[in-house]
Amino acid sequence: MFCSRVKIDRALLRKIRMYSKIAGYSSPSEFVTHALEKEIAILEEADSEEEIKKKLQGLGYID
Amino acid sequence: MEGASAVSDRRAVVVAVSLAAALFLLDPPPVQAYIGPGAGFAFVSSFFVVFAAMLLAALKLLTWPVRGLFRLARGLRSRRALARARVRRVVILGLDGQDPEVTDSFLAEGILPNFARLREEGSYVRLRTSFPAESPVAWSCFQTGSNPGRHRVFDFLVPNRKSYLPELCSARVSASPRALRIGKLRLPLGRPSIDLGRKGESFWKVLGEHGVFSTILRVPITFPPEKFRGVMLSAMCVPDLKGSQGTFSFYSSEPEGAQPYTGGIRIPVKVEGGVVRTYVSGPGDPIVEGSPEMRLPFEVRLAGREEGADAELAIGGRAYPLRLGEFTPWIELRFRGGLGISVRGIARFYLKRIEPHFQLYMTPINVDPERPALPVSHPFTYAVYLAKTLGRFSTLGLAEDTWGLNERVLDEGAFLKLAWLVHEERERMFFDAIEKTRRGLVVCVFDITDRMQHMFWRYREDGHPANAGKDMEGHRDALRDLYRRMDDLLGRTLAALDDDTVLMVMSDHGFKSFRRGVNLNTWLWRNGFLVLKEGEPTGARWYRDVDWSRTRAFAVGIGGVYLNVRGREAKGIVEPGEQERQVKREIAEKLSELRDEDGGGDAVAAVYDTREIYRGPYVREAPDLLVGFRPGWRASWDCAVGVVTEQVFEDNTRSWSGDHCVNPPDVPGVFFCNRKLGADGIGIMDVGPTVLNLFGIEVPRHFDGKPVPVEGR
Repeated sequence: MFCSRVKIDRALLRKIRMYSKIAGYSSPSEFVTHALEKEIAILEEADSEEEIKKKLQGLGYID
Repeated sequence: MEGASAVSDRRAVVVAVSLAAALFLLDPPPVQAYIGPGAGFAFVSSFFVVFAAMLLAALKLLTWPVRGLFRLARGLRSRRALARARVRRVVILGLDGQDPEVTDSFLAEGILPNFARLREEGSYVRLRTSFPAESPVAWSCFQTGSNPGRHRVFDFLVPNRKSYLPELCSARVSASPRALRIGKLRLPLGRPSIDLGRKGESFWKVLGEHGVFSTILRVPITFPPEKFRGVMLSAMCVPDLKGSQGTFSFYSSEPEGAQPYTGGIRIPVKVEGGVVRTYVSGPGDPIVEGSPEMRLPFEVRLAGREEGADAELAIGGRAYPLRLGEFTPWIELRFRGGLGISVRGIARFYLKRIEPHFQLYMTPINVDPERPALPVSHPFTYAVYLAKTLGRFSTLGLAEDTWGLNERVLDEGAFLKLAWLVHEERERMFFDAIEKTRRGLVVCVFDITDRMQHMFWRYREDGHPANAGKDMEGHRDALRDLYRRMDDLLGRTLAALDDDTVLMVMSDHGFKSFRRGVNLNTWLWRNGFLVLKEGEPTGARWYRDVDWSRTRAFAVGIGGVYLNVRGREAKGIVEPGEQERQVKREIAEKLSELRDEDGGGDAVAAVYDTREIYRGPYVREAPDLLVGFRPGWRASWDCAVGVVTEQVFEDNTRSWSGDHCVNPPDVPGVFFCNRKLGADGIGIMDVGPTVLNLFGIEVPRHFDGKPVPVEGR
């Protein structure tokens, strides 16, 4: 599947490549995705209790 | 000049469009007719599917030379990679939860001749499991060759740091945030997203990058399926059509009075003139405001049925015979919603009783593999291929309905029939994969070993609290039969393989008894780490009792303890750094001494600080502490859903009487191989690197596991 592309400054990209290895990510993409997900989680609304209950229904390990 | 420029522009456009089309065909996105979460599922009309299919076919015809070149290049690369390989094919037979102690006892009795042969001619060792010893975590460690700090699957459930509510760790399905509202209609603009929670990189993706093809069947935590060089059928955490992890329906004419079911819905019915008229409760209609439930009417006729049948099911314009105590084949269910949209699923029916009360069970509505409403395979058409060639099959992640048995809607016999039907479907796929994948990797995980040990462990222990009021004789040999049938499966697998194939048989963890539940949230409350709004428990679910502004720690999932850290949790009060370390130490020390006086001893074997046992970029998102219970204890049912109870300990009286969510060193898995291993043991993270090594591929740096030497023939 095609992924959208975002422009990143070359110097920043070099740092991303270097630190993704140091931090133990499998790729620079995984590092960037994780960094962005953490920021988005701050802005994003959590699922409602009803929605959570519905999604978890039937999971054998919990009541 | 203007004319020349216009021609040149047109050529440029034609070239650009052709290139784009070629690239599109080299990497086609799945055509999804119906995707999304529960009531938020989005629909794309069947017209679009037909149009897209025709367009793809036309473009494929036009671009075959380009694709041919790519295929040739890939073939050359594959040939180079396989030249370095020490093996033509590796087959991994996964038997979820097969326990080494139980295996050893049956080996000693001589009832597992094929496992014994593998042990003698090859190897048999214990397999070190993951921390915690839970299938989603363990199979993620297997896939990625790494610890949870790198793949981010820590438990079935993790808390949302804003709402504190538990969420599935493995996959997140979100509806499209944008919609066009016209009156009562709500038209989604854009596709819902399905994100794989598992991070890191699977070893079959690494194999694929080196030209090695893989067939991956039902390995847990593969939903949504990832793209790689091979085919995959997703497993654990694939939802049903309602968006849940499996919601059964139970139709009963018996007067109500019982509690609502966990894991299912009860639909009251009446028998009138020998006919039961009722409906299938389907998913919510995402086009209509409020997502009202889509229903499919049906009838059960108790008279005028075909010979040999006890009733007749009339649904969707067709009639099916119903026999008491027998499951029907998969029956197609088509739900119609607003604007003429329709969505299809499949279910099996089970006529439990006619007299004195009519009782009919229906399985959760599975995604139909012939017309998948969700991407349950890679490529998208692989599920269709399997369904067309081998017959329809269960696509639900947790296909064996353990809640049906827990709630006694199904009895043991019915549960076994359903579980073995699922198993037989899987066997057909497995042997088809062995036949079709002559070079490369085949992995198939069978779940029946796990589900049956969860539900039938009580038969091994006369004093198990789950035996109260239940049959103790009828299925006493169920687990013995299970292991014998797995031995038979192994025998047929060995017969299907050639000498150039390395066979590995493995489980992700072992099994122990689950006699006593421990409510960690209650313990945290009684020890002052968790504070209740009213001062006393009210029995409310999902942490509704908890005063987060004064709570320092809480438990989520099946043994994870989280601190309420300022800056990480929405209402965090524990300061990161020294205070955080001190609270963690205090909890770990006290929990390690937890005694269950009524249950016969110490409940906790060890408490692990995840900062010490995990490494990698996701450690900060892990539970702060993992509780390693002694065999016999597990986090209680109430604890897992955020209920604070009066008592820390309780008897486990559910049919779900065996478990593996205990101290990981106490529940290793098994590892058999048809070759000699150059090691006394193997860890679950080492299996992938061992396979890479057999194919002559260097193990990537971000893998934690190490290859174990495997001797040649």
